Amino acid sequence: MTNTETYNYTVVRQFSIMTIVWGLVGMSVGVLIAAQLAWPVLNFDIPWLTFGRLRPLHTNAVIFAFGGCALFACSYYVVQHTCHAKLAFPALAAFTFWGWQAVILLAAITLPQGITSSKEYAELEWPIDILITLVWVSYALVFFGTIVKRKIPHIYVANWFFGAFIITVAVLHIFNSAALPVSLWKSYSAYAGVQDAMVQWWYGHNAVGFFLTAGFLGIMYYFVPKQAGRPVYSYRLSVVHFWALVFTYIWAGPHHLHYTALPDWAQSLGMIMSLILLAPSWGGMINGIMTLSGAWHKLRTDPVLRLLVVSISFYGMSTFEGPMMAIKTVNALSHYTDWTIGHVHSGALGWVALVSMGAMYYLIPRLFGRELYSLRLVEVHFWAATIGIVLYIASMWVAGIMQGLMWRAVNSDGTLTYSFVESVQAMHPYYIVRTLGGACFLLGAVVMAYNLWHTIAGAKPVEVEIPEPATAH
Amino acid sequence: MFIQHIVGLFIDPMRQWEKIRDQHKSADGGSVAHIFVLAAIPAISGYIGTTQVGWRIGVGEPIRITGDSAFAIAIIYYLALLVGVFSIGWVIHLLGKAYEVEKPLSLCIALAAYAATPLFLIGLMEVYPVLWLNMLLGLPALAYTVYLLYSGLPIMMEISAERGFLYSSAVLAVGLISLVALLAMTALLWGMGLQPVFTN
Repeated sequence: MTNTETYNYTVVRQFSIMTIVWGLVGMSVGVLIAAQLAWPVLNFDIPWLTFGRLRPLHTNAVIFAFGGCALFACSYYVVQHTCHAKLAFPALAAFTFWGWQAVILLAAITLPQGITSSKEYAELEWPIDILITLVWVSYALVFFGTIVKRKIPHIYVANWFFGAFIITVAVLHIFNSAALPVSLWKSYSAYAGVQDAMVQWWYGHNAVGFFLTAGFLGIMYYFVPKQAGRPVYSYRLSVVHFWALVFTYIWAGPHHLHYTALPDWAQSLGMIMSLILLAPSWGGMINGIMTLSGAWHKLRTDPVLRLLVVSISFYGMSTFEGPMMAIKTVNALSHYTDWTIGHVHSGALGWVALVSMGAMYYLIPRLFGRELYSLRLVEVHFWAATIGIVLYIASMWVAGIMQGLMWRAVNSDGTLTYSFVESVQAMHPYYIVRTLGGACFLLGAVVMAYNLWHTIAGAKPVEVEIPEPATAH
Repeated sequence: MFIQHIVGLFIDPMRQWEKIRDQHKSADGGSVAHIFVLAAIPAISGYIGTTQVGWRIGVGEPIRITGDSAFAIAIIYYLALLVGVFSIGWVIHLLGKAYEVEKPLSLCIALAAYAATPLFLIGLMEVYPVLWLNMLLGLPALAYTVYLLYSGLPIMMEISAERGFLYSSAVLAVGLISLVALLAMTALLWGMGLQPVFTN
């Protein structure tokens, strides 16, 4: 029997390399704006270098460019390998790559010019939103088309997570970006007032829940068992975890709008759903950690595995912190402070970035048929990243609590104890520590890029034949 | 006797962990009573710092809190530290099942208590509560505590270094989560009106 059909690795390779490139770009911008908060002169009085313009560039670059490319690369790789099928619609798959890169470039051009819809994490204006929609629908066609072509009857759980992520992000993007254009680069939201805020945070929180969680859980459920060389600890738990997670996440958005014009019952509902969310989140964490725990004898020789252990630990920590911060009384103190920024980064750096980087260390050598250039450098990366995250979140905890307490401090005559600018002044040392932490994390990413560059340099792209599935299970 | 252990943990931690373990395994058993003394260091220092010295945020006069209010906080702080150490020890004991080691609870509590020694000792700096300075001094102490945990756990629990790495990471994660819970609880209590009383 001659089966010469090979996997489509071309598009996976393209997305993997751009993951590294956009990671470096997005994190560098992050370190720059962190430094600007500590030393404001660093914006040099140039409008497009100011914090307000660069901050959305940073978030878009790390979430959609770095995180997005990692998700495309991993989902395309995983769906082919777990279905024993070549990617469906190769032309559309190529379009998702070039289309997505075009979206990122347009973002990098428009955001510094101040062209923005002013919706957080959905800043891009309507022409770019339409391009995103086209790319995303193509992505869904390629992904689900491959599932339809599968030669393995069972659909592996990682694909369920990827599938939920693709469908939900499509729905979120289309509803939240609905707008009335007034010119090529200016539009107004289709919703008004508190409805607009609620749609925005329904989108915003599920960008976290589906883009940054469900998609990356898909990555975890494939790459962690692969790297550990053992099956998922409990497959039943992974399925329960999936349904509980997708059902609960979608309700949690209102916790971004505590004590606003949003009706109180909606705020309380958001808080309760956020608290319930702890259970499925920890179900996933326990599954990941227990899968790794059986491979403890590999930890000394495999720094990639250590990267994954730390990433799942941070997932557990930040998914505990989130529900705590969603409690209205706690939120009254923590909201609008740097505690929130610290929380986001313990999830973004600790969980999303580390699990993506672990996946890249697994993928890139296989895509180019090479051994990883240096395990020693992975070790350096591991420590730089871990120390960076700890510095970042520790400084933001202190800064956030301090801001919260200063803002609510009142004198005995009822006047505010501190002016706002005094609280800004008090943040200076913590902003320096935060910049250091971010720089440490970036340093780790540079080491990774160097390591992977040497892994790839001179290598020929690999063609891998699709194996025949075993006839009997 | 615990003074020797503490000094030893800074000079030759590996050997000292072995000594602590052997003591806890011997017939007369080891004691963990010194935690009650150590946990008093940050509590008393905090009391002195917040009532006598005071701290400054940004500009203006130093802020102090009243003696009564500080006393109540110091007691809660002392109890929270004790509960923290004992519960981490208890978690170490529970996690033992997952890592297939069965050790007496007292030994697990000793591991938690001795690993936290640098943090208790650095608590002395709270007599001079300048946040950025405390953070600067606290971070190395925290780093040494983490080092003591990772180096001490395989010795105390008598398991391989690789397995110990995962076990220690699990304990560290539990520690971080307790810290977050403590933050949230502080915010909750504060919101419910149990905040300190300032002297201004």
